[in-house]
Amino acid sequence: MDFVIEGIDYTSVIQKALVLLSCVALSWKMIIYMCNLLNIEQDPIRVLITGAAGNIGYAIAPMIARGMMLGPDQPMILHLLDIEPTSRSLEALKMELQDSAFPLLKGVIATTNVVEACKDVNIAIMIGGYPRMAGMERKDVMSKNVVIYKAQASALENYASEDCKVLVVANPANTNALILKEFAPSIPEENITCLTRLDHNRALAQLADKLSVPVSSVKNVIVWGNHSSTQYPDSNHVTVSTQAGDRPIKELVTDQNWLKNEFIAEVQQRGAAVLRARRQSSALSAASAACDHIRDWFLGTPKGTWVSMGVCSDGSYGIPPGLVYSFPVICEKGSWKIVQGLSIDEFSREKMDDSARELAEEKDLAYSCLNA
Amino acid sequence: MAKEPARVLVTGAAGQIGYALVPMIARGIMLGADQPVILHMLDIPPAAEALNGVKMELIDAAFPLLKGVVATTDAVEGCTGVNVAVMVGGFPRKEGMERKDVMSKNVSIYKSQAAALEKHAAPNCKVLVVANPANTNALILKEFAPSIPEKNITCLTRLDHNRALGQVSERLSVPVSDVKNVIIWGNHSSTQYPDVNHATVKTSSGEKPVRELVKNDEWLNGEFISTVQQRGAAIIKARKLSSALSAASSACDHIRDWVVGTPEGTFVSMGVYSDGSYNVPSGLIYSFPVTCRNGEWTIVQGLPIDEVSRKKMDLTAEELKEEKDLAYSCLS
Repeated sequence: MDFVIEGIDYTSVIQKALVLLSCVALSWKMIIYMCNLLNIEQDPIRVLITGAAGNIGYAIAPMIARGMMLGPDQPMILHLLDIEPTSRSLEALKMELQDSAFPLLKGVIATTNVVEACKDVNIAIMIGGYPRMAGMERKDVMSKNVVIYKAQASALENYASEDCKVLVVANPANTNALILKEFAPSIPEENITCLTRLDHNRALAQLADKLSVPVSSVKNVIVWGNHSSTQYPDSNHVTVSTQAGDRPIKELVTDQNWLKNEFIAEVQQRGAAVLRARRQSSALSAASAACDHIRDWFLGTPKGTWVSMGVCSDGSYGIPPGLVYSFPVICEKGSWKIVQGLSIDEFSREKMDDSARELAEEKDLAYSCLNA
Repeated sequence: MAKEPARVLVTGAAGQIGYALVPMIARGIMLGADQPVILHMLDIPPAAEALNGVKMELIDAAFPLLKGVVATTDAVEGCTGVNVAVMVGGFPRKEGMERKDVMSKNVSIYKSQAAALEKHAAPNCKVLVVANPANTNALILKEFAPSIPEKNITCLTRLDHNRALGQVSERLSVPVSDVKNVIIWGNHSSTQYPDVNHATVKTSSGEKPVRELVKNDEWLNGEFISTVQQRGAAIIKARKLSSALSAASSACDHIRDWVVGTPEGTFVSMGVYSDGSYNVPSGLIYSFPVTCRNGEWTIVQGLPIDEVSRKKMDLTAEELKEEKDLAYSCLS
């Protein structure tokens, strides 16, 4: 049926427009296809690792270089920072990275100079910190670390890339991250996080073991609060994928007592258990969890899945704002968002508040160290 | 449909190479991102607690591809059903030890590992020997596991190969992924011969020979070779420990290329059972340039060998022959 109004043949115009649009669409598809064939590489991302000469640094560097943190197509340049006494080990790490001929690794800067290390970095993994040694009081560890993180804050603020995403691993992770945030006010606070993914992964593994299922079948555990012994591994919203679809864990683990007691204790004390067995603290699993944390932040969490991240509290779930607290989050387009609306029972409420209280105390202690 | 898990054995798993290697395997670096794995970790009884610590960490990492972990000090349990065996365990050289002493300890270890693998590993198990003296340990393994096809027993020279690529890429300031086809000939020792005569670099005007771009034969025939030969010692000097990260990574490359295949136009270095190619005596485990396809390696044939290369290739073959004699004398 012809569509002619006032002498203008609209049918013909529409037909021509459709043809034109199809040509444009097809050409665009061809251009994209050819670009992929030419394998036009993305620009390298700069990743800083502080405390790089230590065990976690040694474990994480090859993981990053193989694309486990940023994906298999994203090239990177590694910035390795550590203190002067470790400079030979740092240099050796750089040599081994060169010796591995990693296709994605486009450069390595190994330095003890914090400005050089922080320059233009897009991601900062803060592993460096003062370790707790025998005989040290909590106040002493805190005192040493807040000084370090205050200094790191300025360096990052002045030299890192504007969009820099920060992950604090060194303990006390939450409070170190808080200090970093307080003393680097121009870094958006949503870009400063701490690692609780290790506890999250440990919790998934414990549940998988209890149910004798692959760990990839278990999801949506939550680790609330401080990366310390007051952390609260919460199984209330966990689902397990079975032949009959995703089932809530309560249907499959009938032993509520186990979930409220042994499970929580296992996860809380796992770090100490590994330390006892290995005579060294976890490095492999910490490094792997750090990769997971950044990868999900960067590339997004799978649909229907959330993960645990230590982030700046906005008051969600009654947690005081201004603390770095571990929450359940989903990630999309490079941003994390706290999962809202989860029901919190009394048992959980108490544990969540305990951990918040500890964090408030740590914050006070940190400030008193800085003012001393 | 998910693939059946592959069983991968790592011996000496409680050590530092094992610690670097197991997360790489569990993330799919060795066998591919869609290949689930079950890790078998074997070490000696004094390391049992540390081994268990590694197992705990592997579980704590919640790796989607890792379908199971067997941590054991029992060689039979370690070897049962394995499709890939990475032999990192061995007697390390300690201060004051003579070469004969190190050799003697290791040949006994590899003789008994041979028996365990032969009886309990899956048919067509692919074996990679990393522990030094790598070539000779692999030879002993082969001699005492006659029912394992000799083509399935290899040793690691990919680390030296990758180091050579790294040195060339540093020299030319090009990405290492643009450099290919160096060759490591011979023994994974200081007599190895890093050969760039067939190596090329990807440039905007196509593939160009390394010699042409470096324009410094003195460096290529001198410092380059000694740097690669002695890199292991340089790392020890700087770290106070031997290379673990790069050794683990190269072991993954070796197995991955063997199983998945080498890219078109690229060859890699593997220590394999010599068939007499390039006038290298047969009956030795010698590093050659190989391509891999359908799970099999093939020595690249027909590469021209100049006089300088010939001498170096013969020197390292000599050393391997001496090591073989020494090994047999230890066993007798």
